[in-house]
Amino acid sequence: MVDRRSILKLGAAGVAGALVGMPLPVLGAARAGVSGTLFRAVFDGRFEEAVAFAGELRRRGVVTASAGPDLATLWYGDLQARLRRERAPIAGLTDRATLFCLEELARSVGMRVAFRIDHLIDDRGRVEHDPVGPAAILAAARTLPAESGFGREIAVLASRFDWRQRRDAAALKRTGPFSPENKTALVSWAIA
Amino acid sequence: MVLPPNVSEADFSAALGEFRSAVGADWVFSSDADVALYRDSYSIYWGEPEERVASAAVAPATVEEVQQVVRIANKYRIPLYPISTGRNLTYGGSAPTLRGSLVVDLKRMNRILAVDEKRHFALVEPGVSYFDLYNHIRERNLEVMLDVPDPGWGSPVGNSLDHGVGYTTAPFRDHFGSHCGMEVVTAEGEIIRTGTGAVPNSDNWQDFHYGAGPTIDGLFAQSNFGIVTKMGFWLMPMPEAYLTGTVTVPRYQDFDPLIHEVSYWEDLGLIGMPDYGSPIGGGFFAPPPAALAALMASGWPSIDALERFVGVEARPAWSVRLHFYGPEETVRANWQAAKRRFSGAIPGAAFQDGEFLRLPIPPEQEPTLPDKPRLGIPSLEVFAMVARNPSTANDPADGHADFFAMIPRKASAVWEAARVMFETYREMDTPAPYNPFSTPINYYSRCFIMAAVVPTWRDPARNSRSRELFARIMDRCAERGWGCYRTAPAFQDQLARTYSFNNNALLRFREKLKDSIDPNGILSPGRYGIWPASMRNTRA
Repeated sequence: MVDRRSILKLGAAGVAGALVGMPLPVLGAARAGVSGTLFRAVFDGRFEEAVAFAGELRRRGVVTASAGPDLATLWYGDLQARLRRERAPIAGLTDRATLFCLEELARSVGMRVAFRIDHLIDDRGRVEHDPVGPAAILAAARTLPAESGFGREIAVLASRFDWRQRRDAAALKRTGPFSPENKTALVSWAIA
Repeated sequence: MVLPPNVSEADFSAALGEFRSAVGADWVFSSDADVALYRDSYSIYWGEPEERVASAAVAPATVEEVQQVVRIANKYRIPLYPISTGRNLTYGGSAPTLRGSLVVDLKRMNRILAVDEKRHFALVEPGVSYFDLYNHIRERNLEVMLDVPDPGWGSPVGNSLDHGVGYTTAPFRDHFGSHCGMEVVTAEGEIIRTGTGAVPNSDNWQDFHYGAGPTIDGLFAQSNFGIVTKMGFWLMPMPEAYLTGTVTVPRYQDFDPLIHEVSYWEDLGLIGMPDYGSPIGGGFFAPPPAALAALMASGWPSIDALERFVGVEARPAWSVRLHFYGPEETVRANWQAAKRRFSGAIPGAAFQDGEFLRLPIPPEQEPTLPDKPRLGIPSLEVFAMVARNPSTANDPADGHADFFAMIPRKASAVWEAARVMFETYREMDTPAPYNPFSTPINYYSRCFIMAAVVPTWRDPARNSRSRELFARIMDRCAERGWGCYRTAPAFQDQLARTYSFNNNALLRFREKLKDSIDPNGILSPGRYGIWPASMRNTRA
C-alpha cells in the first residue's frame, strides 16, 4: 500500500451559519523573555536514559510528559495552549523525530532550540555525545559519561540552564527526523 | 542578515521600521536567530548560497495589517512570501522561493469564522491548523468530518492553496477542489472576495463557489497573485460508519481490470482513496524479495516472465484496500456489491473483510486507531513511524524532496512509470525503490501518481547529487508526457518549463497576468516559475 505515510517512511451543535468569530488564544508575546522555570520535561518512555531524565526532573518538581506515539497529543492537547499565552522553557530527552516536530511547532509560539546534545549509542552501550549550544553546554557535555547514566545528568543540566542567556542559531534545525538503524539515536534538548 | 535583492540596507531598515509601526514591534522578526526559524528543514540547498532563506519575517494579525504590509512592500520593492503555518515540508516549508524575501507569517490570523453542520462548510483564516479546526468541531460535537493531510499540522488554507490532498472521498480529498469562496489581498493592497462573497450582505458565500463571470480562485493557488486571508471549505457530513475491505487478484495482468473496477467505485463517489498494493512485490520502499531481485538481475522482465513468476510464487499479484463511508446499511451493501462486481470482472478475485467503525469515533478510542487520517483525524504519528528510515538504514537522510509523476489510471502506465523511474535511478547509480510490482497513489481520483522521493541532506555534496537525480527524473517523465502536481521551490522553474505546449504559452499567459496584477513584482517572485518582469530574464 502506498500513501503519504509510506512516502514519509523513505526519507514524512451547529452554529448554523453564524460567524463564530472567536479567536484562538493570543500568541505569547513574541519578544518577551522566557520565564526561568522549566515548564515541561518531555521524555520517550522506550529508553532507560529518557526515563531517568524524567525521573530526576520530576524529583525536582518539574511536570513531565511522555512524547507518546502521536506528538499531536502533547502539543495540541497540552503545550500549545499554555505557550500561546506565555512562553516557557521545555526540555526533553527523546528520539530525533520528536525534537524535529517540536522544533517546527515551536516556531508558531516564537520559541526555538536553545541547545541540543545528540547521543549515539552503539550496540555495546557506548555513547557518543554531540553537543551544540552555549559554551556551558559544550563544557558540560564533555563530562557526560560515555555509557549509561547520562540521562540523569542531562536532567540536572537542564534544571540549571540559564534561559535568559543570549542564544544564536547554531542549535537550530541540525538534522531531520530520521535516525540510523544500527545505533540508538537519542537527543537531549531545550526549547525556549 | 540576507537582504532582499536590489534593496539597500538603509531602505530595508526603513521598511522594517514601517512594518513595526504597522503590526507592532513584537511581530517583526529580523535577528539571525529569529529568521533562521524560517529555514526549510528539508532544503536541498541547505547551507549553500542558493538556499532560499528569508531576510526577515512579519506576522500581521488582521487583513488590514496585511494590506499595510503589502503597501510598505510596494514602496520599498521588497519581495513578500506569505505562509500560513509553513509546514509543507518537501515543498519549501516556511522558506521563500526567492532568497531574501520577507516572510509574511499569517500564524496570528487564526480565527475559525464559521463551521456549519447543516450546510456542511467551514470558513477559516490562514493560521488555523487542521488540529485547531478538528478540535473546534469535536469540542462542539458538530456532525461534520474533515478531510486531513498527513501529517496534519498544516492549515486548510495553506494546504489547499498548494493543491494538497487527503484520504476520504474524491470531492473532499482534493482540498482546493473542495474550497468555496476566498478573500484575497491583492498586490496593490485591495481586498477581493470571490464567488458569492462578492455580493454585499451575501449569506451563502460558502454555498456557491462560482458567483457570476470568470472564476479567479485558481489564480491564487500555487501562485503569486495575492495573499489569501479567508477561505471556505465544503465538509463531509459525518458518516455513520466506516468500513474497509481488501480485494486481491491472482495474475500480473489482472492489474488493469482491477484498476478499471476500482475506478468505477471511485468515480461513483462511493469510496475513499483506494490503497493499491502487491502481496508479491515487497512494498514500495522495501527492497524486492530475493526471487524478484533475481528475476530483475538481467533487466526489466517481460510480462510473460512476470506472469510465470507470479504463478511460481503462488500469491496474489495485486491488492487494493477499499474504504467505504456512509450509513451502516449502505457501506455493508456496497462492500457486498463490490465483491460481486470484482468477482465477475476478475476470475480468482478474493476478498478479506477489514475494519468496521461507527462514527464519530469516541475520543477515548482515537489513540488506538491505526490510521487516523482516514477518519478525518489529524495526526503527527507519521513522524514516529519514520524515525527509522528503511531506505538508508544506517545513513539516514535529513529530509526529502518529492516528485509526483501524474499518469493515467491504467496498468500499462503504472508499469511504464515504474520502469522509467527504475532506469533513471540506475543511470545515477542509485538504489531504485521500484520494481514491476510498484503501485501508484490515487490522491487525485482521476489520476494516478508515481512518486519519487529523493533524499535531502545537510551535506552540500550529497544534495548536489540529489538535485541531479531529481532533475533527471523530472526530465524523463516530461519526455513521456507526465507532469507533476507540485514540487519544491528548487525545481519549480524546471517544472514550469515542462508545461511547455505551444512555446510555453501557459507560462507566458501567467507572466502577463503577473505583470498586470503585481507590477512591482512583490508577491512571491518565482513561485511555480512565475517571475516578475524585472527578474524574468535573469532568473527563469
